[in-house]
Amino acid sequence: MSGAAHAAPKKASTRAVQAVVLVALFGLLFAATRLVPELQSQAGTIGAVGFLLLTGTLASEMVDILGLPHLTGYLLAGIVAGPYVLKLMDHHTVSQLTTVNGLALALIAMEGGAELKIDGLRKSLRSLGWATLLQTLVVPIVMTGVMIACKPLIPFLGNLNTSALIGVGILWGTLAVSRSPSATLGILAQTRATGPVAANTLTFVMTSDIVVVVLMAAAMMITRPLIEPSSSFSIRDLEKLGHELLGSVALGTTLGLILAVYIRLVGKQLILVFLALGFGLSEMLGYLRFDALLTFMVAGFVVQNLSNQGSRFIKAIGETGSVVYVIFFATAGADLDVPLLRQLWPVALLLCGTRALVTFLTARAASRLANDPPVVRRWAWAGLVSQAGLALGISGVVARSFPSFGDGFRALAIATVAVNEMVGPVLFKLALDRSGETSKAPRPSISSLEAAHEMVEEAHAHPHPHHAEAPGDKPA
Amino acid sequence: MNAIWLLMGLLLLSYIGSLLVGGRAIRGMGLPSGAEYVVLGFLVGPSALGLFDRDTLATFEPFAHVALGWLMFVVGITFGMTGDRRVRTSRLVGGFFVSLVSGAAAFAAAWLFLAWRAPLAPLDRLLAAGGIGAACAETTRYAVRWVAARHHAEGPVSELVNEIAESDDLIPILAVAFLFALYPPAVKFHLHVLGWVAITVGLGLLLGAMSAMLLGKTFRLAETWGVLLGMSLLAVGTTERLGLSSISALFVMGVTLSALSPHRRELRRILSPTERPVMLPALLLAGAFTDFSLAKYLPYLVVVAIAARTLTKWLVGLGLLALAPVARPAGPRLGFGLLSAGALAMSIGLAFALRFPGPVGGLVLACAAAITLFGELVGPVSLRSALTAAGETRDDPPSTAASTPVPVVSSTSTPLPVVSSDDRAAT
Repeated sequence: MSGAAHAAPKKASTRAVQAVVLVALFGLLFAATRLVPELQSQAGTIGAVGFLLLTGTLASEMVDILGLPHLTGYLLAGIVAGPYVLKLMDHHTVSQLTTVNGLALALIAMEGGAELKIDGLRKSLRSLGWATLLQTLVVPIVMTGVMIACKPLIPFLGNLNTSALIGVGILWGTLAVSRSPSATLGILAQTRATGPVAANTLTFVMTSDIVVVVLMAAAMMITRPLIEPSSSFSIRDLEKLGHELLGSVALGTTLGLILAVYIRLVGKQLILVFLALGFGLSEMLGYLRFDALLTFMVAGFVVQNLSNQGSRFIKAIGETGSVVYVIFFATAGADLDVPLLRQLWPVALLLCGTRALVTFLTARAASRLANDPPVVRRWAWAGLVSQAGLALGISGVVARSFPSFGDGFRALAIATVAVNEMVGPVLFKLALDRSGETSKAPRPSISSLEAAHEMVEEAHAHPHPHHAEAPGDKPA
Repeated sequence: MNAIWLLMGLLLLSYIGSLLVGGRAIRGMGLPSGAEYVVLGFLVGPSALGLFDRDTLATFEPFAHVALGWLMFVVGITFGMTGDRRVRTSRLVGGFFVSLVSGAAAFAAAWLFLAWRAPLAPLDRLLAAGGIGAACAETTRYAVRWVAARHHAEGPVSELVNEIAESDDLIPILAVAFLFALYPPAVKFHLHVLGWVAITVGLGLLLGAMSAMLLGKTFRLAETWGVLLGMSLLAVGTTERLGLSSISALFVMGVTLSALSPHRRELRRILSPTERPVMLPALLLAGAFTDFSLAKYLPYLVVVAIAARTLTKWLVGLGLLALAPVARPAGPRLGFGLLSAGALAMSIGLAFALRFPGPVGGLVLACAAAITLFGELVGPVSLRSALTAAGETRDDPPSTAASTPVPVVSSTSTPLPVVSSDDRAAT
């Protein structure tokens, strides 16, 4: 992430400069788009990437004054610049910008996997087990009921019979289980929080992704006969799922080992390696029908736990991700369907509120059963509210699989994800701040670069016999 | 070959480029101009083996725009500098003059030839000749650095050539801004061509100043990359939207940032290593876009451009011998030593090919590729010969090169920044 929320506080003059530049950038692109509304070739996309990167970073600095997470700033910059507000970029440009999603999701998944340490997992196994069990059982059941109860408020449910309504409810309940690894990692990268709440949330969110993928496949199998009486229950879907999961894990393990060896032996130009993985391997995984998120997560997990290169790996991802995440979230903001949200906000708010409440109660119950420390009991729920890409992906699958109500389902999902996307990160950051886990150490400034450079040169000129490896390092 | 394979190939080239760079120095590996990548691109491109077609190539136009912009940004931020030292004003002016004379001669020759043989409209003729002139103006600094690194060159002539090569980018880049402004975007009001040039330069100034303001004193390292990348992409996108020259705007942005930011030294240090990794894929793409079968008269045009450039550089060399006493030991071959072309010439060629698809862009790019290849054959050899005649090259690396850069013996005793001990050992 770009900012240093808890580094040395920035002066008012710095903030003023940032605000002026932010306004000037909006003014510049506004003038350019009004002067030449029709684009020459791919210019709109190139300019939009730069614009979102800059305004996202600057907006994050502005919302930082209010104590809001940087992620909110990225989203706001995207929303304001997007096709529904100032129209500085059109739908085509926004859809082209989403090509960066492959890279962003690869980085997010690898970082998430690398943050999962076997020791930590062992320690929190009980807590993780209870949380996964309850969140996976209670949230879908309650949200299925809520969806059915909301039938009068939701237009696309009006014509469905009871069994189909139950089927749609189950799909919605499954969608409600999904979390946002990207938002979680985004907030953790900004706050650099360490502690039980951060560790607990990260572990749960990353593992819940796998659970959701399995749950969704099962839900599709169960609901199809309910929604379309002519279709029958098929075990073939489960076979495909098994193939997808096992293949992804196997490929992820191989990739992780290769990465560990590369970092160990070469260790240079990881940014280019990440680009190749994010764009090239993601494409190949799609072709092979493997789950990219799971593959990259396993790769990160392997690098962290089967080699000594975890810290270098995470550092390299963080350096690349600091730029990619801004574009990723700002693009998500620009992609937000504001008119749809305006239209569906009462139902969306009701569904989001209920989901947050159920998540809160379930997390408290799970913490109590697992005998978690008080700080976890109090705040563990806060990181589970965010939703983003995975939820949208699931809604897309539902829309394609059930054309009779799919579009309405997807629209409602987009509206609720929009709310959760805005509120979730704020809650998680609040939890980390209140639990005292947010880092207060300053980030490296550009002024320290020269000192670091001189140190490197010094090290090259006078190599110390033991300086090659960090303490405790051993061969991969 | 599909787009993903091409992307992987470009990333691989970028990787190779990054390995060829060691901090502030080049290792003296590969050809000085990077002409082998131009040839490779041409061979695998649609005009030769056809491993990927023009549609696939077109999907990489955004990458080409960004790569060219970034290259020119880095050129701008290091413009007029040799390492951390400013080029002396007299040599800066000398660099302007050399590029102006070389470019003007090539422009005039190309314009006359095109008027005689090519069925081009007057404006297209002006654009094509102007583009060829701009591409012919430079002496690539990479070749000078390469020769210095490879042959352990040090001394006043090496320094003179190096400083000229570091200073001759401004004129061709401003010329490109002017030429692009001749084809303004379709807007509701009329603006004079100089107005569009002013917008190009003004945009670079504005974004450079904004970058300096944002980097300020407290901006963090992570944000530095965000600001630099963001401003560069925004500049590329905005100028391309307006149909103006992105390479000119980015160059001005780099110069402005270098002038205004208190972190200019650190910025040069973090940006210089990115030049080669971006340049090699850009050269490959430029080679792939090149089409020598564009017109029947193209080979003759290439010969005319090369002849004009060669003659002018030779005359410039003679002028240097007359005006700069330190250069006299190098002899008349010094002018041929200035014939190396590379990144800037190919960038100008590719920028024209992207902005003016068809005969105009094709002619400029083909001529840029030809002068790069010719410069590769003649330039480094002649420069080495001239420096040897001046007694500034050595066959063996200095024995004391274990840990310190080898200084250039000059009135200022400033070391050539590009030659490090590691490079000498590597070569």
